[in-house]
Amino acid sequence: MAGELALVADILSIISLLIGIFFLSLGMIGLLRLPDVYNRLHATTKVGTLGAFGVLTSIIIQEGITPMGVKAFTVALFILLTNPISGHMIARAAYRMGVKCCEVTCMDEYAGKRRK
Amino acid sequence: MKRRLITYMALPVVWCLVSGYVTIGSLFLGLIFGMIVVEPFSKLYRLDEVVHPTGDWLAKIPKKIKYFYVLIKEIIKANIVVAKIVLSPTINIKPGIIAVPIRTKTNIGITGIANTITLTPGTLTVDISDDKSILYVHSIDATDPQGVRDSIRDDLEKYVLEAFE
Repeated sequence: MAGELALVADILSIISLLIGIFFLSLGMIGLLRLPDVYNRLHATTKVGTLGAFGVLTSIIIQEGITPMGVKAFTVALFILLTNPISGHMIARAAYRMGVKCCEVTCMDEYAGKRRK
Repeated sequence: MKRRLITYMALPVVWCLVSGYVTIGSLFLGLIFGMIVVEPFSKLYRLDEVVHPTGDWLAKIPKKIKYFYVLIKEIIKANIVVAKIVLSPTINIKPGIIAVPIRTKTNIGITGIANTITLTPGTLTVDISDDKSILYVHSIDATDPQGVRDSIRDDLEKYVLEAFE
């Protein structure tokens, strides 16, 4: 019985690891393919979060409530908090540096509103 | 209730999570390290300031759980949207920056809504206006700005308002 349970845990852990790696590689493809810095941030912030979650969930399933598993949970929590903030800071810094939006950009209501 | 008390309650828990050992000894170690690290900077962290935590913090826990459920659902949706865009043979997007008025007033509510916007499909927070009433949101599909504003107000802000204010 214990052996079967370990097998199920292994399979679940491998599935979530594969999902995580799939989304992380999608994020990297998006980083290369999308046109400008703002669109690339879409790919890295969102996809990076779920990709990292997949990998960390795999560790948690594999390890359970051990020091490693608790650390993986903490890392997931910190990623959930900090990933959107870093995306926002990069976008704002890029806008203030004067990085132009790509030419297909259809509207910009932020233009001229930024603080000096 | 001083901010110092809240800080010293929170830091041992953080230490336990980071070190990985959730034990009484680990809690004490975290408290000692927290004091050593934070006390010299008590002015910087405004530890002597008296804060008034709202009494219904505990009562809002179900709302917070619902918010996290919505957040995780939206993260998965956002990933599928980005995956579709990235894997399509020709990238056909109409991005733009949209001004979105928000109703939240407290700092934690604004942080919550801004982070939620970034993690949800097709939107990324760029900046906030001086009077903290308008968020500037970069959308990957800005052909319908009013639709984006409506979806943020109805689908996301409602849960953030319930959970954090």
